[in-house]
Amino acid sequence: MKQHSFHRRKILRGMLAGSAVSVGLPILDGMLNNSGDAFAATGKPLPPRFATWFWPLGLGESDWVPKTAGANYELPPQLASLKPYQKKLNLFSGGQVFLDGQANDTHFTGVQGLMTGKVSKTREYYGSVDALVGDVIGTGTRFRSLQVCCSGEVRAGWSAHPQSGLLPAEVSPHALYTRIFGPEFKDPNAATFTPDPEVILRRSVLSGITEDRQKLMQEVGAADKAKLDNYFTSLRSLEQKLEVQLQKPDPLASCSKSAEPKQDDGHILTIAEDAMARHDLFAQLFVHALACDQTRVVNLAISNAFCGLRKAGDATSHHTYTHEEPIDPKLGYQVTCAWFQDKYMKALGDFINVLDSVREGDKSLLDRMVVFAFTDHGAPRLHSVRNYPLMTFGGGNGRMKTGLHVPRPGDALTRVGFTVQQAMGVPVSSWGVGSNKVNSAISEVLT
Amino acid sequence: MRYQKLAAAALTLTAGVTFATQASAETRGYVISWFATATNAADFKANCPEDRNKGRIEWTIRDLIAVGYTKEQATEIVATAVDSVTLPPEIQNKMDTRAVVAGKPASVYNYPEAVADPNIETVTGKYAYGFDLGGANRANKFEDPDTHQLIDNQLWRAVGCTESFRAVPPVMPYPEELAWNTMVDSAPGWAIQITGNDLSKDGKVTITLNRTTQHPERDSNGAVMTNVSYIIDDSPRSHNVLQGEIKNGVLSITPAFVRLQGEMPYYSEIAIRDTQMRIKFEGENLVGYWGGYINWIDYVYMYTARPANGSDSIGLYHALKKMADAKPDPKTGQNQEISATFRMEAVPAYLTKLDGTVVAAPGPGGGRAINTSAR
Amino acid sequence: MTHRFGFLWRTILLATAFSSTVYAAESAAPEIPLSLRISPQEYHKTIADVFGSDIVITGRFEPEKREEGLMAVGARSANISADGIELYDNLARGIAAQVVEPQRRKTLFKCAPRDVATRDDACTRSFLASAGRFLFRRPLTEQELTARVRRAGDVAEKKGDFYAGISAVLSEMLLAPQFLYRIRKVEPDTANPGQNRLDSYSRASMLSSYLWGSAPDDKLLKAAESGELLTAEGLWLQVDRMLSSPNVEGGVRAFFSDMFGFDEFETLSKDATFFPRFTPKVVEQAREQTLRTIVEHVVGERRDYRDLFTTPNTYLTRPLAAIYNVPIVDKADNAQPDRWIRYTYPENDPRAGILSQISFVALHSPAGRTSPTLRGKALREYIMCQAVPAPPGNVDFKLVQDSSNPNLRTARDRLSAHATEAMCTGCHKITDPMGLALETFDSGGGYRTSENDAPINTTGEHRGIKFDGPVGLAKVVRDDPAITTCVAKRSFAFAAGRSPTANDPAWQQIEKQFKDSGYNVIELMRRVATSEMIYAIPAQTASAQPVK
Repeated sequence: MKQHSFHRRKILRGMLAGSAVSVGLPILDGMLNNSGDAFAATGKPLPPRFATWFWPLGLGESDWVPKTAGANYELPPQLASLKPYQKKLNLFSGGQVFLDGQANDTHFTGVQGLMTGKVSKTREYYGSVDALVGDVIGTGTRFRSLQVCCSGEVRAGWSAHPQSGLLPAEVSPHALYTRIFGPEFKDPNAATFTPDPEVILRRSVLSGITEDRQKLMQEVGAADKAKLDNYFTSLRSLEQKLEVQLQKPDPLASCSKSAEPKQDDGHILTIAEDAMARHDLFAQLFVHALACDQTRVVNLAISNAFCGLRKAGDATSHHTYTHEEPIDPKLGYQVTCAWFQDKYMKALGDFINVLDSVREGDKSLLDRMVVFAFTDHGAPRLHSVRNYPLMTFGGGNGRMKTGLHVPRPGDALTRVGFTVQQAMGVPVSSWGVGSNKVNSAISEVLT
Repeated sequence: MRYQKLAAAALTLTAGVTFATQASAETRGYVISWFATATNAADFKANCPEDRNKGRIEWTIRDLIAVGYTKEQATEIVATAVDSVTLPPEIQNKMDTRAVVAGKPASVYNYPEAVADPNIETVTGKYAYGFDLGGANRANKFEDPDTHQLIDNQLWRAVGCTESFRAVPPVMPYPEELAWNTMVDSAPGWAIQITGNDLSKDGKVTITLNRTTQHPERDSNGAVMTNVSYIIDDSPRSHNVLQGEIKNGVLSITPAFVRLQGEMPYYSEIAIRDTQMRIKFEGENLVGYWGGYINWIDYVYMYTARPANGSDSIGLYHALKKMADAKPDPKTGQNQEISATFRMEAVPAYLTKLDGTVVAAPGPGGGRAINTSAR
Repeated sequence: MTHRFGFLWRTILLATAFSSTVYAAESAAPEIPLSLRISPQEYHKTIADVFGSDIVITGRFEPEKREEGLMAVGARSANISADGIELYDNLARGIAAQVVEPQRRKTLFKCAPRDVATRDDACTRSFLASAGRFLFRRPLTEQELTARVRRAGDVAEKKGDFYAGISAVLSEMLLAPQFLYRIRKVEPDTANPGQNRLDSYSRASMLSSYLWGSAPDDKLLKAAESGELLTAEGLWLQVDRMLSSPNVEGGVRAFFSDMFGFDEFETLSKDATFFPRFTPKVVEQAREQTLRTIVEHVVGERRDYRDLFTTPNTYLTRPLAAIYNVPIVDKADNAQPDRWIRYTYPENDPRAGILSQISFVALHSPAGRTSPTLRGKALREYIMCQAVPAPPGNVDFKLVQDSSNPNLRTARDRLSAHATEAMCTGCHKITDPMGLALETFDSGGGYRTSENDAPINTTGEHRGIKFDGPVGLAKVVRDDPAITTCVAKRSFAFAAGRSPTANDPAWQQIEKQFKDSGYNVIELMRRVATSEMIYAIPAQTASAQPVK
């Protein structure tokens, strides 16, 4: 990444302006073991992390598919903003979601298939890739995962717990900041640690709910039991959050509090540039939250799949453009749609850049994680569930090779999600339902 | 009741709203959405070749010198001040109370006469907006950039070289903009009614100005919202009936006294003698100039009353006093009035009486997306 | 891929997949849960009713989900996620802290602690028993109460503050499933040995949620306690009392907010360049305008539901009147909050009824421009309970040119070009004629007569009746029996948490009574609330165990 350091610093300065942030510092050598991948004191390995990044409405027609496979392929113009990170990127092309006779509930079914492995006729959506990964890597942190949506739509995310379903997205950077770095934040690098007596009391009071559990369960039917079970699982995560706050955290040299974003109410944004500005704030908060090990799983959505974002002064939204804008006969693509796609890819590049600029021992934060970038349609103009552009970034703590274009025309798209799960250590030997079921990973990207 | 010519017969609606107006006439309603000193600041160098007044830092240094600091000391004080304008309180206080009245220090803003004229630069350029008010001194005349007539506007001559008046509409002079934005959400608005047989054609019209009981409602962009209903304040103190004419699409009036009550710290009152108007119908809005003679002390009070508003109050006071060009005091000979021009804009509005009678409505297409583009 | 091939492929696929999960999943219908997560509105209303409307509730709720047309049905399967519980925890702690603030103690506490610096179990017991009865919608069991009194005392001792103990335990109770879910309990039916029924507290909470949008009050809980609610006469008396109470407005508001999809207001925003009058205040007021129109029509005047679609009466504020481009006289003093002024559209006005309000025409339009398809779809789905199929995959939209095309200036022109595609025609026929009649309202709810300088054609046909313009549309919608069937069905589902069975004679009886009442919504609510149907335990919940 050396050749791009100037670019990176520039962006970092811009994003972290004014804050006393120490990104880029190595974890002190004395704190790590000889191979630099675990804490010397405890022998605990440095944690793997996972992120998903959703952008709406794909990359247009099929002309984004690189002509050659493997390493050193020519990056298509649609992904020009990602050029500096090509060596850390895997681009998957050609994959599809199999509908197995179900209707294509446009902008939904494709994601349902690729993120949960199952296409169904209802809008049921349980157990997304990130949540499955989170169940393995994310249980010991304050937040099992954090999810945001840049356009301000609380329901626009794609992260769903296997039982309780879709998780609401945070829409205000300031609210997210307060959640992570507000009064409940315990600096892992603080010299002293005192358990907060308030937290101890809260934990003890919460036990009241658990004490009622057995009686409550006796009084309801099986379906309600399942629902209450679910509730108690969620309650457990709240208790766990409090327990984490009562333990002295391992020191993390690259951890520092994020700059506090301006007060905002997370209102709906319909101008693309405004949403991208909010994206950068979320990216900054995420990188600090990950570096401070407050969470190990983060999920970001640019907007709803029916993307309502617009160019300033233009009444037509990106989604409407995908259907109504003629393909430019000379250029061969929809010009305005490409403008939106460029904005998203630029934001994705910035997201990757910030993760890559944090050092942890011999690796960057990005190297320790996998970022899974996905979208709702192959060719959105046609509502296609074929030939999706999917990407992963980062080496997954040494579990993934990077820098490859992996064309798999006609293959189940679930194989990418399955591969990612294996890389992140999810003990799973097959994934998906019906034609979307896969039982082998894409070995060429696994080490 | 989207746009309609208001018919002679009063039309009673079940909503308790009544329409009424003169026979076979139409009355359009507006509320003033922008009002400030008319500037002509696009070419500052031509207006003020010396560029001597400069901004807050410079006049603060001048004021510091006036209370006894050397130029070096004054420069140093300003350079080390927080944000270069917030001086240590004791120094600020020394400057503020440098007037001496009956042997005691007094506020320079209350007694601007008690300090020497800092003699700020005034406009020597050729152009300013305004009207020929009949001023006899040919040397005082400007040329109006639009009408190319020679006009009287000594107010502009007095203020036009100070930094806060280097504003090109829609930007207002800074202190006025600050005050407008502070006051607009609470101060009652000013309404305009234009009545004529057919306002789309040239002809005689009547213009009625009133205060409203409600403040202007703002829209998503912070501008004054169109097509909002206002109740007219029936107080005679802000009631003006003017005779006018539309000619080539431009509205003018027979000169008359105009008085509209306002609220400090903005214009506490608009009081213009021998007012002339030149107003254009721009889309659904009104944009134009009002000119005439005003009491210069009332005007400068906006600045001396709020010295922190970012303008050289004392410099302006003395410049206005010198430039005043009408109504000499019989005893002292000092002119009490100054020729002045104000720029205004107004947006369509419904105007009603307290009893529900609608006296004016927006004109055709008034604020309504009559023909929205799909993009 | 062609349709024909798609069919073949699907058949093969089903054959091969038959032995796996697909089969297993379809063999046993999942049991329907009885308990429902309370809606954000009911949460707000309950807190206001129990602790006062000056309690400020800040923070978000776990998003709701819509099933069978209603959030109230989606509440059946709505879970509380790990992130959601954090949201509810924040809400709970915020409320609990306010409840114990010194200025509220006098009104909310019947007792004062002997020593404010430590525990006072008697006073704690009195407060928790009383508040808990409303929050849990039944008296707390001795076990629930004793444990909480003890814990509140422990906290009070540790923090040296009686009220800190109350606050801690109250925030826990506001997070408890007994509060966040309306739990429906089953007990043996003494009248029909061998069968089960809902217990009377479950009935009470269903009634208060349905009729008032809130938790039961003291009288209703007493009627539950005495068993009165389990008798037909007792049930009728309580329903009658509740429908005569001003609180019924809460139930009507909650129901219509749900039925008309007003949750979409949360994400409503218009481009300030095109619609500068569409301020955040207008978004708030537009929702309130329609709810006020409905409450006056349905509760105040008890008028025919169908006339809501043609009524010239509504309520406006000055900012709303500016969008509707009508004068309004608000005599409130300057800088006071906007007042609601009753307004009646004159005859021949292009606006009438709730379909012409911002809450319909702007709510169902994208931020910058209109979509007749979206408006038509909303009308079909929200108001007529008709399903509009989702657009098919693999549609080629290349026939739809951009709107700067001089031949396709209006939405009608563009949609006609699109609908020549055979696969699109069917659905667009369902949505577009109705949506196109509303094209004289722009995306911000303003009135217009042309688009790109071309006059807007608002003619259409519905059920063989030709109409022109929004008022013409409103009249045919008013006379479509689908709207009365729909509101009855939704009202039932709102109460029961599930849709009625269309061919059930008891249901047909309710529909007839609704019709005979002149489509009086309050009468409909009376019939539904007193019908044993909504309290019946669906067969799919066979595993529900009676309370011992």
